[in-house]
Formats: sequence, C-alpha cells, structure tokens
Amino acid sequence: MRSLKKKGSNEKSEKKPEIATIREAFDSLRKSTDFVFYKKEHGKVPYVISYFSSIVDAEVIHQYILPNLLEISDLEELKSKIPIEEIIDVTSPKDLTERLPSGYVYIYFTDSDHHGVLIPAMKNENRSISPPEVEFSVVGPKESFVESLETNIYLIRKRLPIDSLRVEKITIGDLSNTKVAYLYIEDIADEENVNTLKQRLDEIDFDAIGDTAYISQIIADNQRSPFPQILDTERPDRVATALAEGKLAILVDRSPHALIGPTTFNESISTFEDYLLNWYAASFIRIVRIASIAFSILITPIYVATLTYHYELIPKDLLATLITSRRAIPLPPILEALFLELTIELLREAGARLPTKVGQTIGIVGGIVIGTASVEAGLTSNVLLIMVALAALASFTTPTYQFGNTIRLIRFPFLLFAHAWGLIGIVLCFSFLAGHLLQLTSLGRPYLEPFYPTRVRDLKDTIIRLPFSKLSRRPVHNHPEQKKRFSPKDEKVHRDIDE
Amino acid sequence: MTTIPDRLKVSPFFSFYLIQAIQIGVGILGFQRVLTKAVGNDAWMSIILGGIGVHVIIWMMYQILNKQNGDITDVHRVLFGKWIGSGFSILLIIYFCLLTITILRSYIEVVQVWMFPGIRISLFSLVILIIVFYIVNGGLRTVTGMAVLGVVLPAYLLFSLFYPLKYAFFENLLPIFDHSMIDILKSTKDVSLSVLGFETLLFYYPFFKEPKKSQKWAHLGSASTIFIYLLVMIISIAYFSEEQLIRNIWATLTMLKIVQLPFVERIEYVAISSWLFVILPNLCLAMWSASRGAKRVFKKKQRSLLVVLLLLVCAGSCVLKTREQIEMISDFTAEIGFYFIFGYIPFLFLFSSIFYRMKGRKSA
Repeated sequence: MRSLKKKGSNEKSEKKPEIATIREAFDSLRKSTDFVFYKKEHGKVPYVISYFSSIVDAEVIHQYILPNLLEISDLEELKSKIPIEEIIDVTSPKDLTERLPSGYVYIYFTDSDHHGVLIPAMKNENRSISPPEVEFSVVGPKESFVESLETNIYLIRKRLPIDSLRVEKITIGDLSNTKVAYLYIEDIADEENVNTLKQRLDEIDFDAIGDTAYISQIIADNQRSPFPQILDTERPDRVATALAEGKLAILVDRSPHALIGPTTFNESISTFEDYLLNWYAASFIRIVRIASIAFSILITPIYVATLTYHYELIPKDLLATLITSRRAIPLPPILEALFLELTIELLREAGARLPTKVGQTIGIVGGIVIGTASVEAGLTSNVLLIMVALAALASFTTPTYQFGNTIRLIRFPFLLFAHAWGLIGIVLCFSFLAGHLLQLTSLGRPYLEPFYPTRVRDLKDTIIRLPFSKLSRRPVHNHPEQKKRFSPKDEKVHRDIDE
Repeated sequence: MTTIPDRLKVSPFFSFYLIQAIQIGVGILGFQRVLTKAVGNDAWMSIILGGIGVHVIIWMMYQILNKQNGDITDVHRVLFGKWIGSGFSILLIIYFCLLTITILRSYIEVVQVWMFPGIRISLFSLVILIIVFYIVNGGLRTVTGMAVLGVVLPAYLLFSLFYPLKYAFFENLLPIFDHSMIDILKSTKDVSLSVLGFETLLFYYPFFKEPKKSQKWAHLGSASTIFIYLLVMIISIAYFSEEQLIRNIWATLTMLKIVQLPFVERIEYVAISSWLFVILPNLCLAMWSASRGAKRVFKKKQRSLLVVLLLLVCAGSCVLKTREQIEMISDFTAEIGFYFIFGYIPFLFLFSSIFYRMKGRKSA
C-alpha cells in the first residue's frame, strides 16, 4: 500500500562507495567552497581547524574555541578547557562526513594524524515565535510553532510540565537527515497507537523530508484518499490539549507545523477556538461551519441539477427570478457553473501565488470586474454568481487548510454527477463519498468516529460542544489508558426557590 | 467454522440498523395498494399481525444460529451434510441475487416514472452497482455504516407525514373488523413481502461482537420498521379514499405531493433522490450476504465472487424492460421470499432443535 516503504536492506548497497579513512573523508569534504580549513602555527602545538563556514556560528568559534586553543597541547586538555558540552572524539570517517555538514567544528593537532575532536557550533538562526496565521484566534494564546524542533518541543513542554511526557526522536531521510520527534503522554496514550506510529515512521524511506506535510502524506493509512488523515496544526496549545486527550503528536525539524493523530473528520472541522469560547457560542459557530461546508459543496451542484432537470422544484415566484436571470444565457447550466467555479479557483490560486499586495488587487479585479462583466456579457446568470461567491466564502470557513483544499476539490465530481442525473446524481456522489469516509482510518482508528462507529460518549464534543464539566472522559476514539480526565463531583443538589 | 477477527466485527447494537435498513426499501413507497385490495381499511391490523410474524421468525433465526454459533452455511453443512447443505446455500445465494435485482429494478422504475422517463437503465444500474461494489469491498463494517446512514439521513422524510394530516379523515378507519379474520390473516403475506430481506441476518450473525446480545436490538429494529409501516398505512387510509388507494401504485409518494415549503415544491423529487440512501444499504447487504455465502460455499475470494454476482445482477437489471416483467420478477421473488421465511425457517428451526436434542442424547 505504501510505496515509499523500505523494500529491504539489499537496495541500500547501491549507495556511494564507503570512505575508508579519516583522511579520505576529509579530502572529500574539502571539495566544497564553503569548507574552511587552516593550520595554526602560533599556539603551543600546531593544529588544524576546519568547518563549513555557512553553517557554523562564527561567534562560538571566536569566543570559545580559538582563544582557548592557544594554550592547549593535547586533546584531553582541549576537552576540559573549552566550555562546550558534547565534544566528540573522531573514531571513524563516518563521524566526519555526518557531523561536519551539520555544523560541527573539527580540530586536530598536526602531529596526531587526523585524530581529533568535533565541537558543536551550529548556527541557530530562527524566526522568533510569532502569532499563528493559519489558525488565528481572537482569544487565547498567540504563539505558533517555528522552524526549530527544539523550540517547538519547548513550546509543548512548557504547557505540559510533567515527567510522563515522552519525546522520542528518529532521523528520517538519507539526504535531509531530518530529525523527527513524536510526543505522547505515557500514562494516557494508547500503546497500540504509539506502536503503529513508531512502526510507520520507522518504515519511511524517502530521501529528503521537506516538511511535516511529507510525513503526514507518507504515513497516511490510505494514500489514494483526498482527505488528510492526520491533522496538522501550527498551535502548540492545540497540540498540548490533544496530547492530554491521549493523542500523539509529530514534530519535524525545520517545519513550523505539528501533526496530530489519530484524528477524525470532526476534528478537521473544529478549531481550538471552539474550546476558548462559551459552549453555546462555540456550538453555534460549529453548526454554522458544518452548514457552510455542506453549502459550499452542494449549492452549485443543486443549481445545476434543478436547472437542468427539475425546475418544477422551484416555487413559482422564485422561478420567475431565476428565468429572468438566465433568459439570455447561451450556455447550459453545467458549463455556466464550471466556468464560474473555475474562475473562482483561478482567482484563489493567483491570489495565493502573488505577493500579498498584488494579490489583493487580483481579488478586487477578479471579484468585481470579471463577475460583473460576465453577467453583463450574458455568460452567466447573476443568481449563480451569488451562489458561487457564497460557496467560495463558505469554503473558507474550513478551519484546517489541508481539509479546505479537499472540500474545494470534491465539489467538481458533484457537479458532473448533478449534470448527469440531477438530484439522484448528487445523492449517488454523496453515497460514494460516504462509502469512502466510512472506510477511511487514521493511524488505524476510524475516521468518522463518533458518528460511525457510533460512540455516544464521544458525541458530546462534535456538532455541539458541551461544557467542560460534561467532558469528564477522554474520547474513546484514542483508547486512552486513563479514561477519566477528572472525576466529576456528585451532581449539585438542585435547590428549590429561596432555600 | 471460521473465526472472524475482532477488528472486522460490529457492536451488537448495530443489528437495529441492519434489520431496519433492509426492511425499509422500495416497498414502503407503495405497499398500500395490495393491502387495501385485500382488506380495505383493516389493513393496519394485518400489518400488526405480519409484524408479530416477523418477530417470531427473527426469534427462530436467533435460536438456529445460537446453537450453531456460525452462519447459515455452517448450519446447512452440519444439518444436511456437505453436498445437500451446499445446495441449500446456493439456493439462498440465488435468492439474494434475485432480491437485489428486484430492489434495484423497482427503484429504477420509480425513477423512470417519476423523474427521468428516458434514463439509461444499463448505465444507471452500472453506476449504482459500482458504488455497491465499493462499499461491500470495505467489508461488513462499511456496509453497516451505510445502513446507519440509510436509516438516519432519510429520517427527515417522516416529518413530511405531518402535512397530509391536515386533510386526513380518520373516520375512514371505521368500521373496524369490516373484513373476516381469514382475509386479514391472508393479507399478512403481503405485509411480510414488504419487509423482506432481514434474513441476511443468517449471514452476518457471526460478525457481531456478542451475537446473543444483538437479538434485542434486532427485535427493536424490526418493531420500529413495523411502526413506520403502521404509521404510513394509517395516514394513507385517512388521507385517501379506499378507491383511490386501490388505484394508486405509489401511494406514499403521492401523499408527499401535498407537502408545501416556501423554498421547494414537488418534495417527492427530493424524496425519490434521497431514497437512494435507503436503497443502497439494501443492495449492499443483500450483495454482501450473497458474496459471503458464495465464499463459504465455493472457498474462493469474496471480492472476485462479488464481481461475478454484481455482473449477473447488472445483466438481470438490464434485461427487464417492461412494467409486466418487473411485476413478474418482484412477485416471483416475493413468493420465494415468503415461503423461505415462513416455510423454510420454521422447518429449519424444528429440524435443528430435534437434531441437537438427538445429538445431546447421543453424547449423554
């Protein structure tokens, strides 16, 4: 199923020939122009220092390494004098080829025949922690992940300062050597889930991991599905609460996103803000969001279906309006709808590719000029224009970006089916979709839970979110080892009036 | 007897949906005509009697299966030996295929008459059967999910039963016992035909986590079906005159025409479209059972057997052209179904009781 899995160790042997000696390794590293290499004769003993200038922090070299080197005569002394932890003795050529390109400084004394030490001095240039952009919320914390694994782990650990939070790291990618960490709370997370995740991560065989999105697609249960089967988020608070529910999180070095699994359909259409608002408001917004997702998928297909086949469905007064708007239009409803839908997609894509300021202009040009002009030119009806615009607006309410893209995509098969068989076509397409979602799993756990398999206890946090006092149990979906978040106190005795 | 891994099993409480989903199908769109012809305004009584009969049969099926702790093919093999048992199982598979053809073709007929007179039957059947394949391919869990959807999603149509109430004339129900008890009993046969299909239980029984616990849910599901039929029948009797009911092939759909909403007219179009949600679980369950049975008998891969059976069904659906042919095949299936349920299952029940009593005595 997963094509990117390792296919056995014998394929590995076709890699480049092994480098036998430290000297050879050193010589091959010297081929890069940013490799700095010089001999110093002025100290007690002459030594050689070398590193990749692009990746090491010059300050570390100048402040901590070079001044100390002047008074040092052997390696042991060097290790004790230089105030940096984790100094490594070079024992094999592999040490050099693996560590030098990731920001170590290599030092050896000229009389020691390349036997030296590696001192970590990597540059740590990171964006500072900034407010979330994709999952912005008006209330609540304003921190989002950055491109450094350590910072990201810090952001989570400071929210869960407990000993049972486990962080396990592995390195993935033959070229990118990406550090990938998966996190879980040991007493809560299901062991089976952890093992599934661990196994899937171990099996990844891909040369360069660019981002968390690579991981999420490679370890997806069904790679042929358009739905994201692992949730990605940029909010550390969301990750921390998910971990507390018994879910697992994946962080990837150099990626400002975290992955949460196992996830559900319901989770993809809820935001962290749902937990920050009062539960009435939160539930209301959730219902609006679900309705708008349904609206954005179905409204153009319904337009096409009714105008192609079932105009009897429309009440008399409304029909008059529709007919007036469509009277002069030469195209059948399907072409009209496809034309407008594709225009909207075009605008979205153009807006996304261009710099922000130009993008806004495109939005205005597209929205007003193309829309009005196409109605005036008699290419599309203004009723459809309103519907398509509303559908586009509604599709922006999907809280996760990846999921929003899927919603954009699945509208088109619905359109085609609506053109083929009207309302029955829409139901046919919906059945297909339902059949697909019913089979979908996330890390082996059903994607449509708690709707199917129906778990009444988990329904408390779906279409509506009940107050926290009612959410005393962790979702069954995650199979948590400790089922209760807290033990609810006995129901308060209902007092009578004036008692 | 093969053991089924836990990850493929479903909770016992889903037998509610599995039973209800397959009992409600195309039948409910127009079961009133036949009943009214036979017993007029006493039709509701025969529904109750028929419902009781169905419950007894469900109880018997559970008795048979509980003893065997496997599906019907195991029962057949143990009771009748390998060859005769397989023969019976194959007959059952053919029956389920016939049932699928009947359901599919009746639905397409409704679509033809009410919405698309010129629909291409071959292409439409093919697309529906592709969806059926896709869902059955996901295993019984997916089929069960579809059954849940098929019960929950179209439930909104129950609200449309309020609209005819405005024009209802409940005096139509009087006088009670206008017809002889014999007539009423005879017409229960017509009731049982509408709720046909629940014998798929014989195949998915071992897929419950605790099969014995599923029995009460199965009864509840069947009871809710009977309640819905009863409701529709009583409202139909009150809304239509007897003469109208006798002449109307799809009384339930005609009743929907009265529904008036500010934003949509001709609600029966919406109803027929969303009825596909009701039809699909029927087809899926029947095809799942047929292919499962075929797998147990022929010991081949279920997926390839499913494809073969679906192709047969598709061919069958394309062959049927006229109203008379459809009527013929559905009467034929109904007849077989009736004798299967009320003849074969009681026989099997008695036979297996005696068989196990004898066996028990022998081992003692």
